[in-house]
Amino acid sequence: MRVLVTGANGFLGRHVVSALLARGHAVRAMVRPAASIDALGWPPSVEVFRADLRGGPLEAAFEGVGALVHLAAAVSGGEDAQFAATVGGTERLLSAMAASRTRRLVFCSSFSVYDWSRIDGTLDEDSPLQRAPDLYERDGYAIAKSWQERIVREAAARHGWDLVVLRPGWIWGREHGFLFGLGQRFGSVHLVFGPTTRLPLTHVENCASLFALCVDAPAASGRTYNVVDSDRIRIWRYLGDHLRRSQERGLRLPLPYRLGLTVARVAQATSRWIFDGKGKLPGVLVPCRFEARFKPLRFPTRTERELGWTPPLSYEECLERTYGPPAVAAAPPALTESERPADPPMTTPERAGVPGRAAAS
Amino acid sequence: MKAALIGAGQIAKQHLACLKELEGVEVGAVCDLSPATAAAAAERFGIPRWYTDHRAMLEAERPDVVHVTTPPSSHFPLATAALGAGAHVIVEKPASETMEQLRQMLRAAREAGRALVESHNYLFNVATRRILEEIDSGRAGNVVHVEAFIALDILGPSGFADPNLQHPALRMAGGAIADFLPHLASLAWRFVGAHRSAHPVWSRRARSPLPYDEFRAVVDAERGTASLAFSASAQPDAFWLRVYCERMQAATNLFETRLTFDRVLSGPRPLRPLRNGLREARDVRRASVGSLWRKLSGGPGSYDGLWEMLRGTYTALASGGEPPVGLREVEEVAELVEALKPREARS
Repeated sequence: MRVLVTGANGFLGRHVVSALLARGHAVRAMVRPAASIDALGWPPSVEVFRADLRGGPLEAAFEGVGALVHLAAAVSGGEDAQFAATVGGTERLLSAMAASRTRRLVFCSSFSVYDWSRIDGTLDEDSPLQRAPDLYERDGYAIAKSWQERIVREAAARHGWDLVVLRPGWIWGREHGFLFGLGQRFGSVHLVFGPTTRLPLTHVENCASLFALCVDAPAASGRTYNVVDSDRIRIWRYLGDHLRRSQERGLRLPLPYRLGLTVARVAQATSRWIFDGKGKLPGVLVPCRFEARFKPLRFPTRTERELGWTPPLSYEECLERTYGPPAVAAAPPALTESERPADPPMTTPERAGVPGRAAAS
Repeated sequence: MKAALIGAGQIAKQHLACLKELEGVEVGAVCDLSPATAAAAAERFGIPRWYTDHRAMLEAERPDVVHVTTPPSSHFPLATAALGAGAHVIVEKPASETMEQLRQMLRAAREAGRALVESHNYLFNVATRRILEEIDSGRAGNVVHVEAFIALDILGPSGFADPNLQHPALRMAGGAIADFLPHLASLAWRFVGAHRSAHPVWSRRARSPLPYDEFRAVVDAERGTASLAFSASAQPDAFWLRVYCERMQAATNLFETRLTFDRVLSGPRPLRPLRNGLREARDVRRASVGSLWRKLSGGPGSYDGLWEMLRGTYTALASGGEPPVGLREVEEVAELVEALKPREARS
């Protein structure tokens, strides 16, 4: 099957491309016009389609495409810029898909769409999602990802698409070892709110393998899955491994989660009292944002039960992939025979690096 | 009064946040080409209806006031349509891309007896108003010269200089800097009057998609002179306004709250520098705390002028008075903007 991947040169995207190739799919990789892809080492069979989701025609990207893996989202910039890129870009992409014959969509959502304040004990796929008006207390990324999932679901329902929603936990990997859920950094001091809190970790290569699987796994159709390798690793251990293996210098200062949350609540109440309900605080002092980063929860998943998916790489192997000597090329996890897709790849590959037809500019 | 808004991105949020605070103003609807952007703005600000077609909105809502907060290239058709529907119009700067379009808009407003307010928001910042009070009270004497200097890093890859998608402002003569000319021109107009001549210098200092990233101009005007500047390379970000009067000089950073005065003081001449220095130190100390306080307050921040301008506009419209930015001001500021554009681009 030919698979269109947006955000293909991103942190997750480049591994999804590798994982799709390993499963025998043909890949059309959508990257921005100015993106540099030379260092990615994609084989010539990867068809590169250059386009920016915010402007320019996108219809040609869907020609001959059996499934879309939509990963593109802004991870930096102001709230409005993130909304315009993530949500506005997705609107344009979905319109182009609606005009095509593509019917399968594997969409990358996020743990940030959950309403962490209303979740106690266990966060799973049925946990409540963040809704207005509290949504607008969250950061720009959470607002944009919530709206992005919302419009993807609406479009899929409207057009009868075969939708799989994957919500990765904290994705980590080479050059992305530090996670915002580890604590608050002040110089080389890390305030760790709840050192025994479990992390919903997914290593980027493990995560990518699930995306590739969901492209044609019949059981995934219409389903939503959290992507978590396991929740057995706790903050204290992970941060220690990160500091040691990355050779960053840092001091871990453990603090009770409840203490941090209480400080945030007091700060918010004080701010609202002083400024008549309109005060503005640094993100870590906004209680709902604090909870979305540090709340101690369990993170069970149903990917093994329903899809037979277990993360190909162990935590120790992931540490080696993240901090060890770089591999020559991103080696996708090996497939067993039963995991291989039934359909033979169908493609007329263009050379990697050749601009796509419609959007080359 | 019933308001409606076309264009629900970026600056629209400031308009909507302000309108929420204004008594007697109800925002009936918001419109954006992107359904999600319109719906999100409606959800966030409790607006009952949203549209993706401005004509449908104008027809169904019949608003008293329409805010046009889209990119500049669409201001002319949208503002014209809103005036045609009988609404007063508040349009983000620049109100139009060409002088000819602006004259048509002004003609339409005059014929319809409606207001056309271009956002000259920095005229209404607290600091600008305090300087104007000193001048209007006669304590400062007449204005001799005004300097306005914007230092703003617009060379980063996520804004005006985005290498992946051309920013709408780059279609204007002068590129991204043209987006800031109405701010500079409106300040010059307010302090020294309509211009008689202008001498701009446009240049490019850094490698980027921007056609220009540096701008300087000297302006000769009715009541004095002005020097206006924009720099993408001078840091840190600041919007310096310096006003030189016969008996007082004022300096303020309009992105923050710093405002200091130097005055011709009575008393022993040798002590004047000390007395002015102590006063300045006091003002800077207050402003430093004030800047932090302003950030924590969750208010409009450096958009306090926009809020004040909107408040004044609605008060005037409700009472049938003249809005704080009149048609003559819009026209004369636009004429100065036109004179400041790169020579090859003037219409």
